[in-house]
Amino acid sequence: MPSERFVIPIGPQHPALKEPGHFEFSVEGERVTGATVRLGYAHRGIEKACEERNWVQSLYLLERICGICSHIHTTAYCLGVERLAGVEVPPRAQAIRVLIAELERVHSHLLWLGVAAHEAGFDTLFMYSWRDRETVMDVLEGLTGNRVNYSANVLGGVKYDLDEARAETIRKGVDYLEARTYYYLELVVHDPVFVQRTRGIGTVTREQAEWLGLVGPAARASNVARDLRVESPYAAYDLFPVQMVLETAGDLEARVSVRLKELFESYRVIRTILDKLPTGEIKGRMPKKVREGETVSRVEAPRGELFYFIKSNGTDKAERVKVRTPTLCNLAPMMTLAIGHQLADMPMLLAGVDPCFSCNDRSIVVRNAQEAETRWTWEQLRRYGIEVYKCKR
Amino acid sequence: MQAVIALLIFPGGLCVLLLGLAYEWLDRKLMAQMQNRVGPRWYQPVADLVKLLAKQETMPNGVNPLLFIGLPLVGLASVLTAALYVPLVGLAPSYSFRGDLIVTIYLLGLLTFCMSLAGSNTLDRFSLMGALRALTQLFSYEVPFLLALLGPALAAGSWQIAEISAYAETHWLILTQPLGFVVALIGLMGKLELSPFDAPEAETEIVAGALTEYSGRGLALFHLSRDVALVVGLTLVAAFYLGGMANPLWFFGKTLLLLLVVSGLQALFARLRIDQTVGLWWRYGMLLVLLQWLLMIVWR
Repeated sequence: MPSERFVIPIGPQHPALKEPGHFEFSVEGERVTGATVRLGYAHRGIEKACEERNWVQSLYLLERICGICSHIHTTAYCLGVERLAGVEVPPRAQAIRVLIAELERVHSHLLWLGVAAHEAGFDTLFMYSWRDRETVMDVLEGLTGNRVNYSANVLGGVKYDLDEARAETIRKGVDYLEARTYYYLELVVHDPVFVQRTRGIGTVTREQAEWLGLVGPAARASNVARDLRVESPYAAYDLFPVQMVLETAGDLEARVSVRLKELFESYRVIRTILDKLPTGEIKGRMPKKVREGETVSRVEAPRGELFYFIKSNGTDKAERVKVRTPTLCNLAPMMTLAIGHQLADMPMLLAGVDPCFSCNDRSIVVRNAQEAETRWTWEQLRRYGIEVYKCKR
Repeated sequence: MQAVIALLIFPGGLCVLLLGLAYEWLDRKLMAQMQNRVGPRWYQPVADLVKLLAKQETMPNGVNPLLFIGLPLVGLASVLTAALYVPLVGLAPSYSFRGDLIVTIYLLGLLTFCMSLAGSNTLDRFSLMGALRALTQLFSYEVPFLLALLGPALAAGSWQIAEISAYAETHWLILTQPLGFVVALIGLMGKLELSPFDAPEAETEIVAGALTEYSGRGLALFHLSRDVALVVGLTLVAAFYLGGMANPLWFFGKTLLLLLVVSGLQALFARLRIDQTVGLWWRYGMLLVLLQWLLMIVWR
């Protein structure tokens, strides 16, 4: 009977999810007939908080939007604010930004491979890929002193320089990882049991991908040429160009292999940067106040296009910072795709777009169009949050 | 007096429980080593058991209390009974009668059935899905597994475990019935819901499957039952295919070898979807075992 749907809830607490999100799959036997998503469990009011802090303080706050792709968030923010302020960033700083961004991509993709393998019940691959990920974590720690929030970007440049000895350890790490990545690529394409779980699952055609607005590796797996590093090179990507990696199949297997093949591109770019690092300063002078104006800053995060809108009113604080993360673009299409698949494919389908919920969660106030526009202060938002959670309890 | 000791302490009862825990530890440790982890210490299964037994048991609303409490007991009792009919630690079975092979396999199947019932007893959606999957899996591996164990019975001309084991002492059936051996060993993995056949308890989809609502004593008893089933299953396969009854040390070596293979297979594969599991058993497992039977008949 259509009225008696059997709904399998996944989340907000569920072993398949490492972050809170809520999915409801209605099933008939093992077949999924409907899927909905509810987000917002990890909303922290970061955008609003940025309006209360000065330009430098906001940088550290925005770095904490995501625990995995922290550097790319500050890169997007810094590029935007620097453009507003008209600050010239030394080429060496831009190159180091790209270097860390690519190392971060390596770390993010290896982490994702492990998660995807775990969702497929392939814990051996999970353990192996996370062990190898330690290599890139160590490299990042050696470079910046931190494993996760590197805090490498500052407005006007970067904080850390690197010498030849450091470059050599990075090269060694990259060599090791490249050999391992070859192995994993072989494995995910040829292991018959794993391929059974990925080939032909969650297929998105090129037209669908464009229509649904997929971004990042998920789009590139469907042969949509969408990579900001190539399309509009930012920071030092014009000096160190990246080749776009495309797959045509559009299924889960293609999403796995796109990410792994991208890693080789990252390794190549890292090596090129280390060999041809521009000389000079690593930080330009940054004024305390940023002149009035607004800008859009787009960068390619490991998960896809990351979008920042920054508006300045001429003071030392931002008038508005708006963040749109790639997960938001990718999650909704997956809900459409879920229908008709098996319940067992759901965790992998979700993991296939590499969702990052805490990146993603923003608050939306739905208001009547006739009402006068209201603006909330940080204090009001804070009080509202407390009230909401009081009611929920 | 001797019968009571055989029933409660050795080789049945307590001894099987301890063996079960030891095998569980070995399995976990071997898996960990293959997955590049350290793995648990030797007393971890015992510690888990004690902790679970000491924990408060929460009974969810809407369950039949009698079934909720009774099913773990029936499950454990059935596998402990099964243990009496198999040549544990390489010694002659404590009890033996004609056709006890069928009873043993039935008792092992009863455990899976108890878990599925326990799952469908609750209103939890994960449990219901898990129970459904466990039963689906039962119907897929049970027939090939049974036929694979009947191969040695056919060769020995008896359906009594003691006689088959005695026959196997002089005939290493793994050499004459390799296909049957493979199906029996993998069937055992299906029976115990070990990876890659762990769809009934796939944690990334349905949390803990049929046992999601169990905590405390019920969960402990189910875990213990599964450990005992592991011992019984390994003993059966080792006795039938790897040279029958032998001195305990030698026999332990054989079961250990089997466990090593099982752990390796667990570490090697991604989880199969439930439809893939069914397909695997009916398309390949069944075919292999029938081929084996055909060869045996032609051989004669």
